[in-house]
Amino acid sequence: MYRLQIAAFSLTACLLHGAAAQEPAVPVSFTKDVAPILVKNCQACHGASDPKGGFQLHTFAALQKPGDSGSPPLAAGQPEASELFRRISTDDADLRMPQDSDPLPAEQIELLRRWIAEGAAFDGGDPQATLVSIIPKLPHPAAPEAYRVPWPVTAMAFRPDGQELAIGGYHEITIWNPADGALLRRIGNVDERTYALAYNADGSLLAAASGTPGVSGEIRLYEPASGNLVRELASLSDAAFDVRFSPAFDRLAACGADRSIRVFDVASGTQQLLIEDHADWVLAIAWNHDGTRLASASRDKTSKVFDAATGESLVTFPGHGDVVYGVAFSPDGTQVLTGGANRLIHVWNPADGNKIADVGGFGGEVFRLSVAGGLLAATGADRVARLFNVGDRAAVRNFEGHADWVFALSINEATRRLATGSFDGEVRIWNLDDGAAIATFKAAPGLGVAQTAQAP
Amino acid sequence: MQVARDMYGSRRLIVAGCGEAAQTARGWSRCTKGWVGPMGRWLPALLAMLLSWCASAAEPAGGREAELEPIVVGNPQALEVYPPQFRLMTPRSTMHLVVTGVYAEGVVQDLTRAAEFASSNEQVVRVEQGVAVPVGNGQAEIMVRVGGWEARVACEVLGQETPERVSFVYGTLAALSKQGCNQGACHGAPSGKGGFRLSLRAYDPALDALTLIRESFSRRTNVFEPERSLLLRKPLMEVAHGGGRRLSKSDPAYEVLREWIAQGCQLDPADAPVCTGIEIYPRQRLLHRPAHTQQLLVLASFSDGSVRDVTRLATFSSSDEGVASVDASGLVVGRTRGEAAILVRYLDRLETAYMMFLHDVPGFVWNDPPPHNYVDKHVFEKLRQLQILPSELCSDEEFLRRVYLDVIGMLPTVEETQAFLADGDANKRARLIDALLERPEYAEFWALKWGDLLRLRVNKVSASGVPKFYRWLVAAFRDNMPYDEFARALLTAEGSTFANPPANYYRTAADTNDCTETTSQLFLGIRIQCAKCHNHPFERWTQDNYYGIGSFFNRVQRKPASTPEELVVWVARSGEVTQPRTGRQMKPWLPLRGEMELPGDEDRRLAFVEWLTSPDNPFFAKMEVNRLWGYLMGRGIVEPVDDFRDSNPPASAALLDALAADFVAHGYDRKHVLRTILNSRTYQLSSRKNEFNKDDAKYFSHARTRLLSAEQLLDAICQVTEVPEKYPGLPLGTRATQLPSPDVDNYFLKVFGQPARETACQCERSTESNLSQALQMINGPLVHGKIRDEHNRLRRLVAAGKSDAEIVSALYLAAFCRTPGEAELAAALNHIAASGDRMRGLEDVCWAVLNANEFLFQH
Repeated sequence: MYRLQIAAFSLTACLLHGAAAQEPAVPVSFTKDVAPILVKNCQACHGASDPKGGFQLHTFAALQKPGDSGSPPLAAGQPEASELFRRISTDDADLRMPQDSDPLPAEQIELLRRWIAEGAAFDGGDPQATLVSIIPKLPHPAAPEAYRVPWPVTAMAFRPDGQELAIGGYHEITIWNPADGALLRRIGNVDERTYALAYNADGSLLAAASGTPGVSGEIRLYEPASGNLVRELASLSDAAFDVRFSPAFDRLAACGADRSIRVFDVASGTQQLLIEDHADWVLAIAWNHDGTRLASASRDKTSKVFDAATGESLVTFPGHGDVVYGVAFSPDGTQVLTGGANRLIHVWNPADGNKIADVGGFGGEVFRLSVAGGLLAATGADRVARLFNVGDRAAVRNFEGHADWVFALSINEATRRLATGSFDGEVRIWNLDDGAAIATFKAAPGLGVAQTAQAP
Repeated sequence: MQVARDMYGSRRLIVAGCGEAAQTARGWSRCTKGWVGPMGRWLPALLAMLLSWCASAAEPAGGREAELEPIVVGNPQALEVYPPQFRLMTPRSTMHLVVTGVYAEGVVQDLTRAAEFASSNEQVVRVEQGVAVPVGNGQAEIMVRVGGWEARVACEVLGQETPERVSFVYGTLAALSKQGCNQGACHGAPSGKGGFRLSLRAYDPALDALTLIRESFSRRTNVFEPERSLLLRKPLMEVAHGGGRRLSKSDPAYEVLREWIAQGCQLDPADAPVCTGIEIYPRQRLLHRPAHTQQLLVLASFSDGSVRDVTRLATFSSSDEGVASVDASGLVVGRTRGEAAILVRYLDRLETAYMMFLHDVPGFVWNDPPPHNYVDKHVFEKLRQLQILPSELCSDEEFLRRVYLDVIGMLPTVEETQAFLADGDANKRARLIDALLERPEYAEFWALKWGDLLRLRVNKVSASGVPKFYRWLVAAFRDNMPYDEFARALLTAEGSTFANPPANYYRTAADTNDCTETTSQLFLGIRIQCAKCHNHPFERWTQDNYYGIGSFFNRVQRKPASTPEELVVWVARSGEVTQPRTGRQMKPWLPLRGEMELPGDEDRRLAFVEWLTSPDNPFFAKMEVNRLWGYLMGRGIVEPVDDFRDSNPPASAALLDALAADFVAHGYDRKHVLRTILNSRTYQLSSRKNEFNKDDAKYFSHARTRLLSAEQLLDAICQVTEVPEKYPGLPLGTRATQLPSPDVDNYFLKVFGQPARETACQCERSTESNLSQALQMINGPLVHGKIRDEHNRLRRLVAAGKSDAEIVSALYLAAFCRTPGEAELAAALNHIAASGDRMRGLEDVCWAVLNANEFLFQH
């Protein structure tokens, strides 16, 4: 079915193209026709950072400005006088774009020619908006019907009542029964990978941070019961890594590989804050107890505290000296807990950034942290999930059994369960209070069932 | 000649002269007629440096040269195909076929590109562009046709029914190495690039496995849709990549990486066969134009006995891109006549193919210059083969200046020059060489060179230690201490650094790693530093080797002595070296010998020195004769002189071997080697080039012009002006070449490349020219002060009532070791006459002499 859908989609695309070629009366749309070509073929070199030849085209406004050559990229109505068209259509291999690659297909060159000839008009609203964000979104490809190999578990969240567990899959979010590992539902139309999931208070909304590495990212709200997409809150240029509801569930914080932290109003979907303060990926985000502070974890080797109302950066904690993967506040908001590649959890004061204590004993990098009911759970590369008391930082118990790096976790207080997920696609459900293993399964729909012949 | 002053009284050159004078056939005699300002001389060099820097920065990733000349097949007398038969044991196996035409007199040519291949059974094997690929199990023959000949290669195909796993190490990591992903400038940098770090040239597969498969939440690979993996889309530039386009879908590496991901990013099982070595075919070739290209085949042997063609995933580089380039497919293309070593690397395995390219140069006739000794025999043999004609013998004037500078570091006096030029004895050059080698300045000048190498300076060996160690060095050269004894004294030294100065060797080399690196570079010519943190990127030396050598030195201890500044070196009875990456305790290890079992409590340095100084040590004698040769000739037979490696072949292996053997046979007598080289015709060749050697910079067909060293130059300026330089704390009259250490802080010396003696590398002494040097010479206070000095040579000669012509002649003799030519003299006299002020005019001439290439350069 997966293959079939793609085939059907391609066929449609062909038909559309065919129609366009025969019907020049329909004007070429920048957002629908031109921008996708530019994004796919040109933006890698002429994007937002370090553009080749001083020429950028990541926004429509940038597309108007000449690069180092000084020649105007676009001359409305005159394709031959437009540097953009000249460079994609020339026979001179030294000048032709995309450089070192095959020329664009003739029909794409023709589309660009026609668009310029027709006046190079912009139909995308804000000329400062990135092309990626104004291209009409096509539905994501469908998830494979049956997984031929497990997919790493990078995101998981219990529904607050503990009866369902959402897990990030390949182009989908899968919903499982945590009691027995039965697959309940599959939510499609999701970007390639999902890095974080979060439910609202009554479980009616599921927020997802997803992306295709290096290509795109999304922060979306789904209705987990129906699988419907409620709203896309933001579209990023690289994967989104984390998403968290505020304690009052009226706001949503998200972060990602574009180095940004964003805060949205859940009801309206409005973006309230855009914080660009970190120098590298922001891997995790956490709210304090009253929703007035946000703490972040970044690949720039720091963790920061922000004012959740203004987005102002208040404190920077550089103590890890290495990648910081996970972050959480203590229940009373007086401590920030961060875990990182230096195999430690540092506990520090969000008011001044001073370190309070370390939690050690990890045999590898520490990835995700989660605080619930006075307990801190942490996962890491040493294949163990660990539980501590936040108050005295004493180890409560270890959950051992995973055979690979544990990337994801979720605590459910209602059912007193801990869920952990690892690189090898395995999900384990534990009794939070006694460490007993409740269920173990691979979060891979159809794995081992009626597979077609595949490469080994 | 015109020298003028500008409004500030500074001297300024008006006539742009002939900057190429040094290159003309008439040579130096014309130089002073057409002085070119130092700016004119240095600026092009600066520009060239900048340009070459830019060019290297913009160098493309690699790839086949645009146009290849077609092969002229001619009339081969036989056809050879390698391998003559082969097996393809797995679905992913291939075999490159190398086709060689054999012509009259044993001449060979690579005909691979011109050959046609056909399979006797396309269901078994197919040949795509000279590469056999398996189709199905069975046996077949491959017919190779070219030049009217047909050769048949038997081929057996097996194992096609068993799917083949892509090896992580031998497939994936080799592919990443091939594309340059893990090179030092990219993701192989210690902190990686763009958050993605690979081990340098895949020395740490375990780390790379984590990075590629798991790091960043498994971001880089996509097992479901391998083509969508970031690992592929980035280098393809489908996704923005800071390193640009590094991969195309037609590269063999693409398919390897894609398939490895599709197979689930599997690692190699613990019992998977390991590569035991690689072999190149052909190992060496002599190609005579029109033959000038060569396809290489790289075969890797594995511990299970299998042999695989790894040509597609091996990396190739040329030791001399000017002579021959090599593309990613292993096709070597000769550019000009000469030799190049093609370094082939497959993960940590390195081998070298030696290529020599000849072509007939129109009009070339070997003139059979009479050899003075075996040095010339070897040098001329190579020159004759390469059709390079050596220059003429240099003049007595040139020889005199050259040999003084090389042997004792200073210019001859006017009297010495006049005496030598007047001497009619046919044997006078040999007599002069003997005499110079016995001068006290010889010992001082060579102690200066070794002072550099042994890092003799206050912050290393203390203020009181410097003169003590220096005196020991001077004495060693004065007494001509045999080199093996010299090395033994340094390497086995114990006790007080004051009472036993060679113990300073372990004072400057203050820890085990420093001992390892210094000893390897100084005495073995092996630059092993890189292997401290990772396997050597350009050589066969591994991290294990580094720490294995270290285990000879790690028991050396240092403790303070009774007097301040004194240090005592002693050797502990135990202590082992641990390899930091593997945590393994290392056994003492020697290059080409391997691990050694030594008694537990002995001073292991003794075993090291015994090995080092044994007559059959392959490094020790060669290193030193090469260094001596480099000092005299301005370029080593191996260059850089202390960088011996397969990928850096000697200009003449036979010469190096002969000199080393002679050195050993004469009890490591350095003066004997110097004498042999100095008496050779090769040393005494002119720096003037001819039509047939004008492009040679490598084979010693002419003398190499080079800037005087900082100390030589300063001494020469003092000598010509007769105004000595005063160094703090040292008596007036001390020459720069007599300075025990660079602690005297002389700006002029620093600008001209005096090393700070921070490293044991001869390269620390800079031979680059720069703008500051030009400014120093044109208008620097030192030069200016000596020209204006009230007691300088000019003024003494004036006071003695000498005529202008006599004074100009004296200057020429002092600076150039010759008298001025008629035109030169006339120009100088005209200038003095025209300047109105005789003293000013004479100063101008003196200034011009000091700024002439003929003075600044050794030639």
